Amino acid sequence: MSLLSVRKPNKCIMSTGTEIISVTKRKDGFQFVGNLESDFESDIEMSDSENQNQISGEAQDGSIVTPGELVTDDPVWMRGHGTYFLENKTFASVAGTVSRVNRLLSVIPLKGRYSPETGDHIIGRIAEVGNRRWKVDIGAKQYAVLMLGSVNLPGGVLRRKSESDELQMRNFLKEGDLLNAEVQSLFQDGSASLHTRSLKYGKLRNGVFLQVPSSLVVRSKNHTHNLPGNVTIILGVNGFIWLRQTSEIDLSNHGSTISNVNVPSIGPSTGEYKPGQNSVAITRLEEESSWEIYSDKNDPISNAVKQTITRYANVIRALAHCEVGIAESRVISAYEASMAYDDIGSLIEKETMEAIGRDVINGEKMRGNA
Amino acid sequence: MSRLEVYSPEGLRLDGRRWNELRRFQCSINTHANAADGSSYLEQGNNKIITLISGPQEPKLRSQMNVNRATLAITVNITKFSKMERSKSSHKNERRVLEMQTSLARTFEKNVMLHLYPRTSIDVQVHVLQQDGGLMGSLINGITLALIDAGIAMYDYISGVTVGLYDTTPLLDLNSLEENAMSSVTLGVVGKSEKLSLLLVEDKVPLDRLESVLAIGIAGSHRIRELMDEELRKHGKKRLQNASS
Amino acid sequence: MVLSVTEKAYLYESLSAVPPLRPDGRAAHQFRPVELFTDFLPTSNGSSKIVASDGSECIVSVKAKVVDHTVDNEFLVVDVDIAGHRDDSQFVLSIGSILTKVLTQQLEQRGLQLTRKYSFKLFIDVLVLSSYSHPLSLISFAIYAALNSTYLPKLISSDDDLDVAELPLFHDYDLEKLDVRVPLLFTVALVGNNVLIDPASNESDVANNGLVVTWSNGKIGTPIMTIGLNDDNVKGFGSSHIRTTLEMIEKCAPQVVKALDGI
Repeated sequence: MSLLSVRKPNKCIMSTGTEIISVTKRKDGFQFVGNLESDFESDIEMSDSENQNQISGEAQDGSIVTPGELVTDDPVWMRGHGTYFLENKTFASVAGTVSRVNRLLSVIPLKGRYSPETGDHIIGRIAEVGNRRWKVDIGAKQYAVLMLGSVNLPGGVLRRKSESDELQMRNFLKEGDLLNAEVQSLFQDGSASLHTRSLKYGKLRNGVFLQVPSSLVVRSKNHTHNLPGNVTIILGVNGFIWLRQTSEIDLSNHGSTISNVNVPSIGPSTGEYKPGQNSVAITRLEEESSWEIYSDKNDPISNAVKQTITRYANVIRALAHCEVGIAESRVISAYEASMAYDDIGSLIEKETMEAIGRDVINGEKMRGNA
Repeated sequence: MSRLEVYSPEGLRLDGRRWNELRRFQCSINTHANAADGSSYLEQGNNKIITLISGPQEPKLRSQMNVNRATLAITVNITKFSKMERSKSSHKNERRVLEMQTSLARTFEKNVMLHLYPRTSIDVQVHVLQQDGGLMGSLINGITLALIDAGIAMYDYISGVTVGLYDTTPLLDLNSLEENAMSSVTLGVVGKSEKLSLLLVEDKVPLDRLESVLAIGIAGSHRIRELMDEELRKHGKKRLQNASS
Repeated sequence: MVLSVTEKAYLYESLSAVPPLRPDGRAAHQFRPVELFTDFLPTSNGSSKIVASDGSECIVSVKAKVVDHTVDNEFLVVDVDIAGHRDDSQFVLSIGSILTKVLTQQLEQRGLQLTRKYSFKLFIDVLVLSSYSHPLSLISFAIYAALNSTYLPKLISSDDDLDVAELPLFHDYDLEKLDVRVPLLFTVALVGNNVLIDPASNESDVANNGLVVTWSNGKIGTPIMTIGLNDDNVKGFGSSHIRTTLEMIEKCAPQVVKALDGI
């Protein structure tokens, strides 16, 4: 038995693409795509000269720090997430980038589960039905809570909640149901409390669900967009995405979003009701808040719309594969780039996904807003 | 057949290393992005280890929930094919493996900031595809990398290595042949400090030799920490470049 | 993951349409892409790792041992370990028994025979790290790749040892490639009147039934059997389903074999 395995540097990678299955084969190697130099070094010598590069100075803004690394010894900073304090010094507790906002010093991890913030527009899936509350899986560390009192019930907003409502909670929302909601507040332990008291929120139907890493979705003013092709997208801040056939309500609520993409948002985006374009008159709300909002039936959807939805789903997966931030404009340009591929099923191939990702980025660079 | 010489008078070991040299060490993180919150793949000598972490997440059982901190569960799966000779029985409920799991959990419970994640569970799954001595140290390194990849807050790196004592000479980072031939000590070192979070002495080691054994062990662990740190930074840089492009 | 009622309705309607509209746009006979790695475990005679695009992953090790086949006539052991499932659970046991049956039936002991007394016994260990849809097909691909990259020591002593008892002797470093024809297993989902190959997890959730088809030696083999892809949507199926399935496998399998062989 040889105790030292020296790996041959000539890795042969071949890809066999057919229309039926594509198998990417790698021989003589695992998933290391490491640089070849390290293949030649065998044993590791104890280095006499330690890496001295991190000893002096403080970690700069945006630079990468790793757990246990000194971020600053200046005690004026308030310690935010991803840091800890020991003997008047602030250290990093996660691997990530340093962020200094006002007096707050934090380390933003490179990766991690979604952590909810008040005002986030998210999508969740009912995990449990409990006593006057639903537990909702939002891809965070803990389930979020949706209180019976935080949803619109059939019969309008002004109606009182009664005991019979408690008994028929499963008729409104049951395990597996998807909904979009806003994070109303956070509990002490960081878990979220949700509400759906607006017509933009509630049970989701007429579409498909997909999930991307939450870090790829940027918080913005609006997370519901009507896309070309009669498709509406809800881009949950938590990385949960819903693609559905555009409904009349979508059209009346957000009809102007496409032309408005570049209008800068005014003020914080956390308010639920803004008099004007996004709000609905109370009387309308009452009409809409019939049982229909908890319906388990889809509207008729044509095959053409379904295919468009599938194409959107695939290009979003392609963007996620390329770790590109996902926003309305990018989804649309990826969709347009994907039109070069007639067969929607070909969009699941790695090379195609990467080509689309490149197209989108290059397109942005050409337009000069990268 | 000539007797195997564990440590030659010229100061060479069975695989040609000197007393203070580590084995080949390669690692990568985020290897199973679709299957876990954090993941790592580690090769230390001929040890090959995959670590997957899911969490912090809602505990599967109510009984696992602690209102003050996260519950850390570590499962070590030593595959039947991990050694040269295939083992007939599964290692899953072996006492040795259960002990390893317990001491790993103890090692990391103090280092991971579990109090930041109340009412959740962090599940660590380690799959040993191949083993060749010094397993415990490699497990520690694999778990450290995967925890960092998962973005779970911890005070510092923990790096582990096994040191043997051959006559009066300490030998760093034992392989299995050496491990069977001498008594050995496994240690888990916290960051760049000289603090130990784990010390396993399974055979007799003379007290007056322990210090030299620990000294080379700590130095070796520091070097491993550096190698892991390099990989993490390299990975981080790549991700940032991706995001900004 | 539990799907909502409307998601299921949407999926079922799309999948049972003619032609079916699959959630990722695949054609009925199209597989998801896979990545395949071989020869990464030097202490095993053969090894492979396969990763599907949804993150499902399976590792296979093949180890060989010389046994006296006049005493032990079992020449193949398949051991399945699926993370998250107990080793004695119905799911793991059934997968293990299907694989053992198919492989024992299709592989020939003759290919493993060394001398008139001794032969190789193969130990195939399967480790499924994660799986989101039924892993059987993926496992069979991995076993295929592992066995086709298995090298065994070369015999240098005489192959007739009944008269003169001697232990088989092997060349110090020369290896011979194991030459076997490995069967493949394909899973299909039946939805409405449609047959869909390589169902993803959401497709499996709304399927009316599932079928496993064996492919060996360039033709459809046995067993062909049903598998449960979900618990609450199960319906019977007719002969037209079976016909479509077999036709589809006959068309796809040679191409899958070609892709796995990497030619």
